[in-house]
Amino acid sequence: MNVVPERRRMSAVPETRKMSPVLTIASLTVREAVRRRLVAAFAVISVVLVGASGWAFYKLSHGGAFTSGETNLALPQAVVLFMFMFSFVVALSASAVGSLAVSGEIDSGVLQTVVARPVRRSEVMLGKWLGLAGLLGGYTAIVSGLQLAVVYWASGFVPPDPAAAAALVFAEGVVLLTLVLLLSTRLSALAAGVIGIALFGLAWLAGVGGTLATAFNIHALHTASEISQYLLPTDGLWQGAIYYLEPSSFVTQQLAGSPVGQGDPFLALAAPSWQFLAWAGIWLLLVLALGLVSFERREL
Amino acid sequence: MASPAIHAIELSKRYRAVVALAGLSMTVARGEVFGFLGPNGAGKTTAVKLLLGLARPTGGEAMVLGAPAGDLQTRRQIGYLPELFRFQSWLTAREVLFLHCKLMRLGRQSWAVQADEALHVVGLDGRGDDKVGTFSKGMQQRLGLGVALLGEPALVVLDEPTSALDPVGRHHVRVIIRELRDRGTTVFLNTHLLEEAEHVCDRVTIISKGRSLATGTLAELKVRRPSARLRVTGLPGGWWRRLASFGRWTEETGEGDWLLVEEMAAGRVPELVAAIVALGGRVEAVIPEQQSLEESFLKLLGEA
Repeated sequence: MNVVPERRRMSAVPETRKMSPVLTIASLTVREAVRRRLVAAFAVISVVLVGASGWAFYKLSHGGAFTSGETNLALPQAVVLFMFMFSFVVALSASAVGSLAVSGEIDSGVLQTVVARPVRRSEVMLGKWLGLAGLLGGYTAIVSGLQLAVVYWASGFVPPDPAAAAALVFAEGVVLLTLVLLLSTRLSALAAGVIGIALFGLAWLAGVGGTLATAFNIHALHTASEISQYLLPTDGLWQGAIYYLEPSSFVTQQLAGSPVGQGDPFLALAAPSWQFLAWAGIWLLLVLALGLVSFERREL
Repeated sequence: MASPAIHAIELSKRYRAVVALAGLSMTVARGEVFGFLGPNGAGKTTAVKLLLGLARPTGGEAMVLGAPAGDLQTRRQIGYLPELFRFQSWLTAREVLFLHCKLMRLGRQSWAVQADEALHVVGLDGRGDDKVGTFSKGMQQRLGLGVALLGEPALVVLDEPTSALDPVGRHHVRVIIRELRDRGTTVFLNTHLLEEAEHVCDRVTIISKGRSLATGTLAELKVRRPSARLRVTGLPGGWWRRLASFGRWTEETGEGDWLLVEEMAAGRVPELVAAIVALGGRVEAVIPEQQSLEESFLKLLGEA
């Protein structure tokens, strides 16, 4: 008896609606995050953190330790701090999952079986990017929504434009994810992840330096900071998110209350310019395209 | 006339100062089982990667199924089992097969049948819903073979397909390869196991240090089949005529009654012993001499 079945006529294998390889890989990436309990782990941690923040915000608003004026100043700052923590989680996650997505799978041998199929490597990488960006987007939307809902419940505070703030935190994560994916087409997963996080930290530090430079009129430092925002737009996007979390009355009070108020790294005086946002979009597309070409040309 | 399954001309690959493949030329006809034989580090896997478009040659060219190596559409007709690979450990075996059906753009209605058949062919019936992460290395290799057979490919490239398998598994793979040939599929078998090549290959190329040393059938390459030395008493006169079908016999002079049978097909030792006993002979000792095949191979490599 034959082990291998007789060859079927090709007409017996009906070809129906076929999913694009990009979407196939994207859904596989999301499924992996769910199956490997990444999503569950993030859900548990986020619920705990948001729950704890609810308690903190309630105490801040109803504890009686502060005057209403002090509370009005403290609430936006606390919201920014919590969102800063979540943006850091988004960035760290983007770096970790992005570095493993290409380099890690090449090292483990998983990608070798996939790229030998009739799919372009660029489709494989675009699928991974799409899946991971979708996960980051879902996480940012849910955790920002939960956080701001809890803040509203505990204190009645609503930031000026929470959706814009969440979108910018998401954009920050996607920018870093795209960079790390590019790095992981050529470097080891560990190197790509570490470099991604280090560059993210440096960009943030350059942003802080720029804020101080503005406060103390240090032109060279200000210029260096602006250049760094264009080289890696993560901090510029984060500054944009801050702007949409803080009411203008709060900004005015902060500047009035301290001679160096504008040196506060958690204070944004202006909305991100459209030129900067357009550049961030172009930067993202360029780095993504570079990553696709790099992976296409990578020898396996 | 159909183009050859594989046609390589002076295919070369250099990694900086290291020459992995130094001008490989060969033609693999459609429907044959072609062995790519060589020791570890000979350049076999490099050649496979070049043929599949996973790496780019630094010289020469190759056509696979009539299209330049790596052609996207042609990959739909190629099944590939890599030497070193891993499937997504968090997927079940069936989900892995479905994923590859999807990547091959097979119609959704055929996935279940394709997956069940693949699982059956490689002996993983009943394990389709188990996570790949729970599979042994050998089971993963079986699944890899199943994945390579999806969509009835015209060319199956197997890179060391039995490296993680036990003897039963190795035998099973050989049966599968023979059946693939019977239905007209070309099989490119990359192996360092001479025995494996001898069992299934129509022709082989022997490769060493990135160069092809010789191409042809094993007989053409003067590779000797395994032989056996036997110490036998009580055989009736004219016994050698009755046992001639087993191979070429020589009576060894010296201590004891030793007989040497050469050019014997592999795996026939038990049958030979039974035949001797049936003739009334007493088998005192049997020493299978598998080394002769390897010695011939090593000799060929040594001459390179």
